[in-house]
Amino acid sequence: MPLSSTLRPLLVLALISIVAMVISVSIGSSAMELGQTLAVLTGGGTELQQTLILDLRLPRTLSAFATGGLLAVAGALMQVLLRNPLADPYVLGLSGGAAVGALLAMLAGVAGFVVSGSAFAGAMLATLLVFGLAHGTGSWTPSRLLLTGVVMASGWGALITLILAMTPASRLPGMLYWLMGDLSHAGTPGPALIILVLVCLLVFPLGRSLNVLARGPMQAAALGVSVRPLEWLIYLLASILTATAVTMAGSVGFVGLVVPHMLRLVLGNDQRLILPACALAGGGLLVLADALARVVIAPEQLPVGVITALVGVPTFLYLLYRSR
Amino acid sequence: MDRPGNLRTARVFGKKIVLTVVALVLLATRVWAGAELCAHDALERQQCLASPAQRIVSLSPGATELLFSAGAGDRIVAVSAWSDYPPEAVTLPQVGDSNRLDLEAIVALQPDLVVAWIDGNSRAQLQKLSAIGINVFWLAPRRFEDIGLAVEQLALLTGQSELGRQRAADFRQGLSELQAEYADARPIRVFFQIWDQPLMTVNREELISKAITLCGGVNVFADLPRLVPRISAEAVVTANPDVIVTSGEDSSDLSGLARWQQFPELAAVKSENLFVEPPSLLARPTFRMLDGTRHLCETLERARATL
Repeated sequence: MPLSSTLRPLLVLALISIVAMVISVSIGSSAMELGQTLAVLTGGGTELQQTLILDLRLPRTLSAFATGGLLAVAGALMQVLLRNPLADPYVLGLSGGAAVGALLAMLAGVAGFVVSGSAFAGAMLATLLVFGLAHGTGSWTPSRLLLTGVVMASGWGALITLILAMTPASRLPGMLYWLMGDLSHAGTPGPALIILVLVCLLVFPLGRSLNVLARGPMQAAALGVSVRPLEWLIYLLASILTATAVTMAGSVGFVGLVVPHMLRLVLGNDQRLILPACALAGGGLLVLADALARVVIAPEQLPVGVITALVGVPTFLYLLYRSR
Repeated sequence: MDRPGNLRTARVFGKKIVLTVVALVLLATRVWAGAELCAHDALERQQCLASPAQRIVSLSPGATELLFSAGAGDRIVAVSAWSDYPPEAVTLPQVGDSNRLDLEAIVALQPDLVVAWIDGNSRAQLQKLSAIGINVFWLAPRRFEDIGLAVEQLALLTGQSELGRQRAADFRQGLSELQAEYADARPIRVFFQIWDQPLMTVNREELISKAITLCGGVNVFADLPRLVPRISAEAVVTANPDVIVTSGEDSSDLSGLARWQQFPELAAVKSENLFVEPPSLLARPTFRMLDGTRHLCETLERARATL
C-alpha cells in the first residue's frame, strides 16, 4: 500500500477535525466573531473572552475530540475482534459497568472526581468479569466472548434500571444526563488525548496482523499470526479506550458503532488506515456534535448523545444506500 | 282542524312537565348540595364530599405539608415516600413513591379523599382511583397565591374552612409584609443554581424565581422558556450575576459552588457573594416558602452590602 494513499485521507480528516475544533471554539451561548476568537487564541481579547474560550470552550472541545476518537478506535477494534459488524465499544457491557459505578456514586450523593473514578472502576470490573467468564472451563472463542458480554450488558442494564427506580426524583436529571452521554462534566482532556495517541501508535504496527485477523482466525493462524494473544491485546486496548471515554463523558452512543463503518465504506478495510482515520473522524464528529448540542437551544444545553445519533443516522444510511 | 291544536296543547303540556321536572331536580340537587363540601381542583373539576374527609391519603410530600397546614394532619392515613415535614409525617404509613404508587394499598385504606400533585403523580394511574369512586383532589401550586388557596380548599374539604382561611390569611400577611420591606431594595442580579451536574436553574415561572423577585433580586435566567432549564457555564459567565445562590444542607459547605472559583473575574466571586440556602425551605410550594423567602431576602441583603 503506497504511503501517499494512506496519508492523503488522513490529512483530509485532520484538516476537517481542525476546522471542526475552530468552529466549536468560536460558537457558544455568548456570541463572538471568528476574528475575536482567533485573537484570543493568539493571546489577545478581553478577560471575559479569554475565560470563555480558554477556560470553557477549548478544554471541552479537546475533551470531545478525545472522547470521539477513543470511542471510534475502540469500536473499530471490537468489530475486528468479534468479527461482527454490530459490535461497538459498549457491546460487552463495559459502559453498563461504568454506568453502575457512576450512578452508585451519584446515589451516594458525591460528585466530581469520585463519580469519574467510580465509573472507571465499574468499567474495569466489567472488563475483568467478561474476561474471566468468557474464558470459562472450555475453549475461548469470539462468539463466546460476545455472548458473555451481551448477557453481562443486560445484567448491568437491569442494575441501572434498579438504581434509577430507587433514586429520589430530584437526583434523576444528573443520572439521566450521564446515561445519555454528556460532556459538561468532562475533566481535563490531557490524559485521554495521551491515551488516544499512545494506543494509535501501538496498534499501527499491528495493522497487518489485524487485517489478517479480520478475515478469520484460521487464515490468521495459517499466516503465522499468534491469534489468542493478539485477540486479548485488542480486547484490553479497546477496554482501556472505552473506559477512558466513558469516564470522561458518560455513554455517548453511536460514534463507536458507526464511524468505523462509515470510514470502511469510503476508504476500504485496511486497519492500518482505518484505525488512525477513526481517531480523527470520531473526534471531529463528536466535536461538531457537541458544538451543536451547546448552541441549538442556547443558553440551554442538550446532551451530546442525542446529536451524534440525529446527525449520524441519516449520514450512515446514505452511505450504506450508495455503497455497492 | 283541531288535531294540530290538540297536538300543540299536548306539546305545551309536555314541555311544562319537562320544565317542572327539571326545576324540581335542580332544586333537589341544590338543597342536597348545600350539605356538601365542594372545591375546584387544579384539573378544573368540582370535587364534592358529602361530609368532611376523615381518611386522607396524601400522594406527595408537598400535599402532606399543606394538609398539616390546613389542620388536617390527624386525618391523614397514609403518605407518599419522602414526606418528611412536619416531623409527625415521617411516622405515617407510606403508599409508595409519588410516581410509583401502590394503588392496591391506597384502595385498601378506604380513603374518602386522596390528595394528588400535578407534577409528581401519574394522571393515568389515579384515573383508576377516580373510576372506582374515590375522590381525587389535584393540587398544582405554582404561585404564592396558590399556596394559600390550596390550604383553604383542603381545610374546606375537611370541614374546617374557618381555620384554613385564618392560616392562609396569616401566610398572605407575612408575604405582603416581606414584599413591602423589600419593595424599594436596590435590584441585584441573581443566579440560582438548582443543580450542579448538570448545571440547572429556574425561569420566571418557578416559585424560587418569584421569591427572588419579591426580595428585589433579578433572576438572570428569568426569560428562558423552560421551567427548569439546563444551561452552560458559559451562559452564567456571560450573564455575570452579582450573587450566586444554591441550596444545601450545610450553609458553610460551598463545594456545590466550587466551580465558580475558577472565574475570579465574575462579580459574584469577586465580592464573595456565593451562598448556600437551606434546601427544605424553598423546595416545596408550602407555608415554609415564607421562611425560605425571608431567608433568601436576608442573604440577598447581605450581598447588596458588598456591592
